[in-house]
Amino acid sequence: MKTKRLLALALVSVMLFAFMAACGGGDTSPEDSNPPGENTPSSNDTSAPPPSADSGDTTDIPRNEALYFNGFQWGPSVGWNAFSSNMNNPLAFEQTADGARLPMMETPYMYNFLDNKMYPLLADGGVDGYSFNADRTELTYTLKSAAKWNDGSAVTAHDAAFTWEASVNYLPDGYANWTPYIADVVAADDSTVVIKAVVENGKPVNANMMIQYLGERYILNKAWLEALIDRNGGDKDSIANDKGQDCVYSGAYGPFFMDDNKVILTRNDSYWGQDASMWGKLPAPKYIGNVLYESNAAGDSVFVVGEVDVSQNYIENSYKMWTEQGLPVSTYLADAPYHIAANMPTAYFNMNSPKVGLDDPIVRKAIAISVDYDMILANAMTNQSPSFKDVPRSLMNPSAAEQAMYNKADVAALQWVGNDIDGANAMLDAAGYAIGDSGYREKDGEKLSYKVSCPTGWSDWEAAMYVVAAAGEKIGIEMETYFTDWSVYQVTMTSASQTEFDIFMFSTQGNAPAQPYSRIRALLSSEFNNLDNNWTGNFGQYSNSEVDDILKLIPQETDAAKLREYYTKLVEIYLTEVPSFSLMYRPEKFHTVNESVWTGFTSSDDGRNVPPNNSISGYGIADLYNLTLVG
Amino acid sequence: MKGYRKYFTRKILWFLITLVSAVILNFILPRLMPGDPIASIVSKIGGAGSNNPAATQAMYEHYQNAFGLDKPVIQQFFIYVKNLLRGDFGLSFSRYPIPVSEVIGNALPWTIGLQFPAIIVGWFLGNILGALAAYIRKGFDKVLMPAMLFLGGVPAFGMAIILLVIFGIGLQWFPFQGGYPPGMIPHMSWKFFAGIISHYHLPFWSIVLISVGGQSLGMRSMSIYELNADYVKYSRYMGIKDRKIVGYVFRNAMLPQITGLALSIGTMISGAMVAEIVFSYPGLGTTLLQGIRENDYPLISASTFIITLMVLTTVFILDIIYGLIDPRIKASQYE
Repeated sequence: MKTKRLLALALVSVMLFAFMAACGGGDTSPEDSNPPGENTPSSNDTSAPPPSADSGDTTDIPRNEALYFNGFQWGPSVGWNAFSSNMNNPLAFEQTADGARLPMMETPYMYNFLDNKMYPLLADGGVDGYSFNADRTELTYTLKSAAKWNDGSAVTAHDAAFTWEASVNYLPDGYANWTPYIADVVAADDSTVVIKAVVENGKPVNANMMIQYLGERYILNKAWLEALIDRNGGDKDSIANDKGQDCVYSGAYGPFFMDDNKVILTRNDSYWGQDASMWGKLPAPKYIGNVLYESNAAGDSVFVVGEVDVSQNYIENSYKMWTEQGLPVSTYLADAPYHIAANMPTAYFNMNSPKVGLDDPIVRKAIAISVDYDMILANAMTNQSPSFKDVPRSLMNPSAAEQAMYNKADVAALQWVGNDIDGANAMLDAAGYAIGDSGYREKDGEKLSYKVSCPTGWSDWEAAMYVVAAAGEKIGIEMETYFTDWSVYQVTMTSASQTEFDIFMFSTQGNAPAQPYSRIRALLSSEFNNLDNNWTGNFGQYSNSEVDDILKLIPQETDAAKLREYYTKLVEIYLTEVPSFSLMYRPEKFHTVNESVWTGFTSSDDGRNVPPNNSISGYGIADLYNLTLVG
Repeated sequence: MKGYRKYFTRKILWFLITLVSAVILNFILPRLMPGDPIASIVSKIGGAGSNNPAATQAMYEHYQNAFGLDKPVIQQFFIYVKNLLRGDFGLSFSRYPIPVSEVIGNALPWTIGLQFPAIIVGWFLGNILGALAAYIRKGFDKVLMPAMLFLGGVPAFGMAIILLVIFGIGLQWFPFQGGYPPGMIPHMSWKFFAGIISHYHLPFWSIVLISVGGQSLGMRSMSIYELNADYVKYSRYMGIKDRKIVGYVFRNAMLPQITGLALSIGTMISGAMVAEIVFSYPGLGTTLLQGIRENDYPLISASTFIITLMVLTTVFILDIIYGLIDPRIKASQYE
C-alpha cells in the first residue's frame, strides 16, 4: 500500500514538475519586462512585454474579450521585431501585396482588394489620396496629425524616410524587392512623405509598385530603429535576430504574450485611431490571439466548436457547416463560390524537359483543353471558387478590376473550358502524334510520357493533378503522377535546369495594386530563366521575345486603351502558346468565420465594402471596429 | 569479481563505440535527406512571390552563411562535435534564431509529463489485467482477450482520433487541442494546473489504452507459459499453496515486461509523436517532426542524439543490472 502511494506521488510529481517547467519557458513575469518604448542594451531576454496596465486578471482571458484566429502559421513565433523577417509572428506582422497585417504596425494606406483602392490609415486625405507629380516619378502623401506611436510621440515623415533608409542598409537582402522601383523615400517636412521612383527614360520603372509600397510596407518608429541598430552594432545578423521586445508600434494592439503554442496581442486603449479622423473608436476585441495547431484538421476541429473565430484554412465543403450542421459559420459570399478568388494555381510545362512534345504548343494546348476543370473545382476546391465557365481563362484573376483590363471578344476563340477530349485528339492527330505500339501517342518513335507533379500531402493540389493525369490518358499521353515532399519539391521547382518534373503545379500572385502586371511578368517573363533559387516565376522557363518586349512597355504606359491592347496581346499569346495553364481560381484568403462569440464580420451584402482579409489585414481590419458580442 | 570487471569494461567500451557511431550518424543522416533547409526558410520569409530573384538569392546566401552551410561538410562536422562537447546544439534552422537547446528545453517537459505517467499507468494496468486473464481464464479472459486484442491492434493515430471524435467533439467532455486552455497565460496556480489536466486526458488515455492492450497480451502469454511450466506442476504436486506458486509465476513472467518497460522509458521522448500531432499537444515529437519536415539539421541531430543517449543509457544500465542479478547472462558473454 505504501509503495502504491509513493508511486502515485511520484507520478503526480513528475507531471507537475514537467508541466510547470514546460510552461515556464514562454511565460514572463509582467513586472520583469521593460516598458514599451524604453530601449535597453539587450532586447532578447524575454518573449513577452507587459500587459496593459488595466488588464485585470491577465492570466485568464475571458472568451468574450478575445478574437481568435487560426491558419496563419505552422511554427512557433520568435519575437516582436517588425524590422526582421526572422520573427515568424504573422499575427502581428505580415507585409504582403494584398494588404499588410495591421493590428500592431501600420502602413500609410490599407489596400482593399474588392475595389483595388487604397484607404488612408496613417496617411491623411481620402481614398487613393496620394498624388503623383506630372511624370509620375514622385508620389507624395501626408500623414495624419493624430497619428501617434504607443509612447505618445507623433508618427512623422522622418519615421517613413528612416524606415526606407534602414531597410536598404540593414536588411539582409538590401530591400532588393523594392530598390528596382523606388530610389528613395524622403521627408519633405514633418508630415509629408515623398517616394521617389527609379527612373528610366524619364519615366518610373513601375509606378504601381510605388502605390503597392503604401499598403504593403510598415512605417516603423525612427527612434526605435536607431536604438535597434545601435545596440546590435549595425550588424545585419544581430539586428535580424533581435527579438524586439521593446518595439514601438502605432497600431491598436501591442504585445501581450508569446510561447511555442500561441501569440496574443492586447489592445492599446490609448490608440490614436480613436480620433475622429480615423476610426473614431477602439476595436471591439480587447485581445486577439493566434493558437498553433498541428494540422488543418486540428484547426478546423476547434473552429467548429467555436474556440476559433476566424479561420484562414481551406475547409472542405465549408458551406455544410451552416447548411447541414446549422452552425453559426459563414463566408464572405453566402452562396457558391463563397470566397473572393484571387489566385490561379497553375500547371507549368517544363521547357527544359528532354521529353518529346513539351516544346510543341499543340501538345501543350491539347493537354490543357482536355482537362476536366469542373472536376478539379468539385474535387480540389469543393466548388469554393468560380469556374472557367463563369470567368473565362486569361491571365487575369476574377476581380472586376482585372477582368476589365483586356478585350474579351478578341481572345474568345482561344479560350477553353476543358474536358474537350475530341478536340484534343483531333489536334494531336492533325499534328502527326499517332498512337504507336506502346499504346500511347508517339513522335519519331518516342512516346509522349510525362511526370505530373505537386507537393505530396497537399490534397487539393494532388486532386487537381490526378485530374490532369487522367486527361492525359484519355488523349493517348502517358501521365505518371509524381508527388514529392514539399522540402524536395521546392528545391526542384526553383532550380534553373530541373528535368525531374514535366508538368508541375504552383500558385500565381494574387491581388495587389501592381496587378495584373506582376502576375503576368511572373508567369511569362524570360528574365527569370536560368536562375537558381528562382521563386519569382516562369518556373517552366518559357521564353518569348515578343512577350518580353510588351512586358517592358506596360509599367511605363499610362494610356488605358494602350494598356488593354498590350494585355489583350499577352492573353492571346498565352492562350496560343500555353506555356502553362491555370487549373482553378482560388481565394487568396479563405476567411471563414464562426459567429458563436463575435458577430458583424464582413459579408458581401452588408454594404460596407470591407474585404474578407482575415479581419486584420489591409482594409479588412475595418472588421474589428464593426464586431459586437453575440447576445 | 574479475569476471565482473571484464564484463563491465566490455559493456562500457561498447557503450562508447555506439555513442561515437551515433554522433557521426546523427550528423550525417539529416544531411542525406533530400531537400534544402535554406530553400524552406527563403520560401517562408517572402521568397515565394518575390518580385526580384536577386532578393531571393541574397536571402539564400545570407542564411547559407549564417548557418555555416557554405563551409565544407567535414569542417561543419568538427564544428558540430566541438559545440556538442560544450553542450551547444547550435541554432535551429526552422525556428531561427532560437537555440536548439531552448527549443528542446521547452518541448521536453511536455513530452515527459505526458509519456512517463502514461507508460507507467499503461504498464501496470496492462500487466495486472494480463495476469488476471491468465489466472482466472473463463469468462474474464474471453471478454478481456478480444478487447485487449482490439486495443493493442488499433494504430496510435486511430485511437487518438476515436477519442477526439467521441469525447472531444461529440460529447465535449474534454478539450482536445493544445496543452492548456487557449485563453490562459501559463502561471503557477491550481486553476491553470486544472486547465492542463483537462487538456491532458485525451492524449494521455490514447497512449495508455494502446499500451494496456499490448502489455496485457504480453503478460497473459508469458503467464500462461509459466503456469504450465514444469516447476509449477511440481510445486503443486508438492502441495505448495496456490497463492505462493502464483507469486513465483508472475514474478518470472514479469522479467521480459520489465525489460520492455525500461526500453519504453528510454525511448519515450520520441514515442508520443502521434498523440502530440492529433491533439496539437506541445512536445518533442511534434518538434522533431517539424524539424524533419524543414530539414532542420541541428534540431534533428540534437533530438536524435538525446534519444540515442537515453536508449543507450537504459540498455547499459539494464545490462549492468542483469549482469549483477543473473550471473548466467554475464557468463554467456564469455562462451
